[in-house]
Amino acid sequence: MDFSLTEEQEFFKKMITDTVDRMVVPKAQEIDHKDEFPLELWREFGKLGYLGLRYPEEIGGMNADPVTAMIFYEQIARGSVGFAQSVIMNILMGTYFVYRFGSEAIRERCLYPAMRAEKVATMCFTEDQSGSDLAATRTTAVKDGNEWVINGTKMWITNGPIADFATVLATTDRSLGNKGLNFFLVEKGTPGFSAGQVLDKLGCRGTITGELVFDNVRVPAENLLGEEMNKGVDYLGEILDEVRTMTGAMAMGIAQAAFDEGLEYARKRVAFGKPIGSYQLIRAKFADMATEMESSRLMVYYAAWRIKEKLSSRKEAAMAKMLATETCCKVVDEVTRIWGANGFAHEYNPQRHFRDARFLLYGGGTHEIIKDFLGRLIIGKS
Amino acid sequence: MDVVVLAKQVPDAEAAIEIRGEGAKLEIEPKFATSIFDEFALEEALRIRERHGGHVRVITLGAGKATEVLRTGIAMGADEALLLDNAAFLDGDGYSTALALSRAVAKAPWDIILCGKQAIDDDRGEVGPMVAQFLGFPHVGGIVKLDIGDGKAVAESLTEGGREVVEVLLPAVFTVQKGLNEPRVAPITGVMKAMKAQIPKMTPEDLGLSAQEVGLAGSKVRVKRYLPPKKRPPVKMIGGEAAEAAAEAARILAEVERVI
Repeated sequence: MDFSLTEEQEFFKKMITDTVDRMVVPKAQEIDHKDEFPLELWREFGKLGYLGLRYPEEIGGMNADPVTAMIFYEQIARGSVGFAQSVIMNILMGTYFVYRFGSEAIRERCLYPAMRAEKVATMCFTEDQSGSDLAATRTTAVKDGNEWVINGTKMWITNGPIADFATVLATTDRSLGNKGLNFFLVEKGTPGFSAGQVLDKLGCRGTITGELVFDNVRVPAENLLGEEMNKGVDYLGEILDEVRTMTGAMAMGIAQAAFDEGLEYARKRVAFGKPIGSYQLIRAKFADMATEMESSRLMVYYAAWRIKEKLSSRKEAAMAKMLATETCCKVVDEVTRIWGANGFAHEYNPQRHFRDARFLLYGGGTHEIIKDFLGRLIIGKS
Repeated sequence: MDVVVLAKQVPDAEAAIEIRGEGAKLEIEPKFATSIFDEFALEEALRIRERHGGHVRVITLGAGKATEVLRTGIAMGADEALLLDNAAFLDGDGYSTALALSRAVAKAPWDIILCGKQAIDDDRGEVGPMVAQFLGFPHVGGIVKLDIGDGKAVAESLTEGGREVVEVLLPAVFTVQKGLNEPRVAPITGVMKAMKAQIPKMTPEDLGLSAQEVGLAGSKVRVKRYLPPKKRPPVKMIGGEAAEAAAEAARILAEVERVI
């Protein structure tokens, strides 16, 4: 079996790694400390064209395959999760359904500017009372003539308070549960559409996350993003595996950033006359971290490969997400221990990685939900 | 304005290096990068093309992954790339390397050759001047500014405590150093183009050279032995009053450690 990246992918990895090192890494601490959207970096990075990563070259994208996309997600997260989340929302979740189902007029207004970083995109699933349980979605969409009227609130929306347009999950019939869910495009400036509370988060600071309010928001019929009614969950399934695998790739990026910090520290920090990296217990930590990271990374890229080859990937993507994010949390924890008291200081990076990693445990699916899903898949329905 | 950039692939600054065979050879971790001074050369070539029009060609002598240097050049905006890829080219000194590169340069018209003042692996700084000598054209070394005029160029180099301004007729060779520019980050369109690029290769025969004239066989200088650097203590105490100590610290950083 050949596990190596292609020459093109190796080159792409080298370029994006270098780009992140030069543009993103130097700003990561500042982004975290200020917890403000890094608009200047967003614009500079946007000029490079990476926000069109997934979309066809004919419309200005890169047409990157899932494996190449994972390389990007891993590296951008390694640079700064606070920046990466906003970027990836524009690249993937916030624009996919606009690309997939939007009219050319909608694409012109939303997708193409988002690919150029001229507009900020978001996707709205989570509500105060529903995250994993999509069937409990309370945001409604009611047809009125040639328009849909949307009412509800969404919470924990990445880019939400600063978004120029949103893909909103709403139910057209609550009695149908999951089968009544649809996606709608809502653009900034639409009467009744507003940002609510902005969340003060433990990590991923720099990404503006918060509440969106839909108060009798009227959108034209063409803003229903779907070929058929009530297929929202099915359409979500088109990118679910990529979203989960992407979360795993981000976890690997954070883990790598933390690991590199730990390695440098272990080589330089002297205790009892020699670098702490020469002590067995510290070496054991690196052995464990490296082994778990390698296996997690293999799982992530295996899942990505299966998606690329259009093989069934639901199980592998779920496993990759869960394994990689749990590994990431272990690595960031160990690195703060290796750093000792310095790992507790805002001045240094390990504490940022430690805080950033937590969100990956729930973003893209909680591990409790994923384990239940995998268990049912493996054992079968009782 | 036809500009040629000579770019070298060197071990990454963080690659682990060990001396083996009792000093006979180096074992280097396979992590590579473009020599930083050559990146300044590439950026300057692109800026010259933006100001004056023309064509940018990048040439690298190396094996295997050395194509990454050329793909990086294409990603940044170079028009053309060429790899001198043959076992006979390898392990050469500055002389045999410069001979091969000068023959490759001469395959097409050129007005300006740019390369780093030195490669960051061997720090010899020989290839640029030797290429100029082989081609029979002038060379200006270690430039931090370059203005192209009508058939001539004005270049500035740093000297001890000052700057030297030189006017030279084109064609000419310039070696560049830090301070000339800030290399651009390649846009995704460039990266995509580079990923798909087919890099042409040349052998000694293509350059009208025999295997004995290039690489290790053609070298005038042979490495006899590698020795590890002397281990320095991690802490150096600087004495004296605050102002004197600060001045001495600045001098060490600039002139000894060369980090500022």
